[in-house]
Amino acid sequence: MLPVAAADQLITYFQAVVIGLLQGVTELFPISSLGHAVILPKLLGWDLNQDKPYFLAFLVATHLATATVLFIFFLPEWTRILRGLGRSLRDRQIAPGDADARLAWLLVVGTIPAGLIGLLFEHKLRSLFANPTAAAAFLAVNGLILFAAEYLRRRAPGAEERARELERAPESSTSAGSEKRLATLGYREAVGVGTAQAAALFPGISRAGVTIGGGLFVGLTHEDAARYAFLLATPIIGAAALLKLPDLIGQNGDGVRGQALVGALCAGAAAWASIKFLMRYFETNTLTPFAVYCLCAGVGALLVFVF
Amino acid sequence: MNNDRLFATLAAVLGLVLVAVGVVYIALNEHDIPSFFPGHVSHPSSHHHVKHGIAAILLGLACLAFAWFRTGPRERATARP
Repeated sequence: MLPVAAADQLITYFQAVVIGLLQGVTELFPISSLGHAVILPKLLGWDLNQDKPYFLAFLVATHLATATVLFIFFLPEWTRILRGLGRSLRDRQIAPGDADARLAWLLVVGTIPAGLIGLLFEHKLRSLFANPTAAAAFLAVNGLILFAAEYLRRRAPGAEERARELERAPESSTSAGSEKRLATLGYREAVGVGTAQAAALFPGISRAGVTIGGGLFVGLTHEDAARYAFLLATPIIGAAALLKLPDLIGQNGDGVRGQALVGALCAGAAAWASIKFLMRYFETNTLTPFAVYCLCAGVGALLVFVF
Repeated sequence: MNNDRLFATLAAVLGLVLVAVGVVYIALNEHDIPSFFPGHVSHPSSHHHVKHGIAAILLGLACLAFAWFRTGPRERATARP
């Protein structure tokens, strides 16, 4: 029998560890963290009310930890990108060949639409669809999206050219080489991939999944698409967590701060391991295993909840 | 005034207005914001539309950035006869 929350505890430490690890892994794997956060407690029979302020305060800590780990993991890239941003603002132009500056503005342009949609509709969508049955259905849809991304990748413009360039120049497999290729994206493509992030407001649709899929669709390799997805995710996850930080510090965090700290540490450790694994995984592998998992898990959970 | 200048001026004005709107949303509660603002309520309330405010400021900054680059050295050089 799995432990459930005691009457005087809103979330047990065991639950904090499980949810933290789950958040750290599922936020970065293309399998939807929100979907799993809604489905798994229901499958385990945990009586967690995820709309209650204490749970949202707990989630702030795990998200902040994930965003921090993402930022630290890509710190050399962020340093170059922020310097590029500064250079372009100072010179009032993006110098030709300045891949860092261009990538910085691609990230800005890609973040704005998803940020606006999230700010304006996150609460409404969450209250409408954050139930286990809907999340299971969307998880299955996420599987189909990943399958579609893999299928459409072969027809993507520029995909062959980028793959040939990668084969020709081994040094282009470094992060700086990857940045140069990412900087060849157009602003429309960046807006498209960035806006796709908003689909993750539906519990069950993965932010990483749709952005990696979007990257493949516009001709990036798996590795470049994953790098771009993680760079794009950092400001959004971090800003969303910072925006709700007062919930954790204020009254809503009473009774869950210890659990939030434990959950955050677990989320951070899991996120670090996940990102290390995924960056290596996507050097040679595809989204297909995640697509199969999402489809099977989504349909399976749907059957459990409906019957 | 050429089209580039006009666009840049419009973007700068719009950017400043949006930043001001954002500050109003964050600083005033939903009862005290002007009645033509989305989210205004007629009954007394202490709720602040912080998200509306952040969204407006983000859009405003985007407009200001557009104006900033639009009047940069490369744009000025290409606009010169």
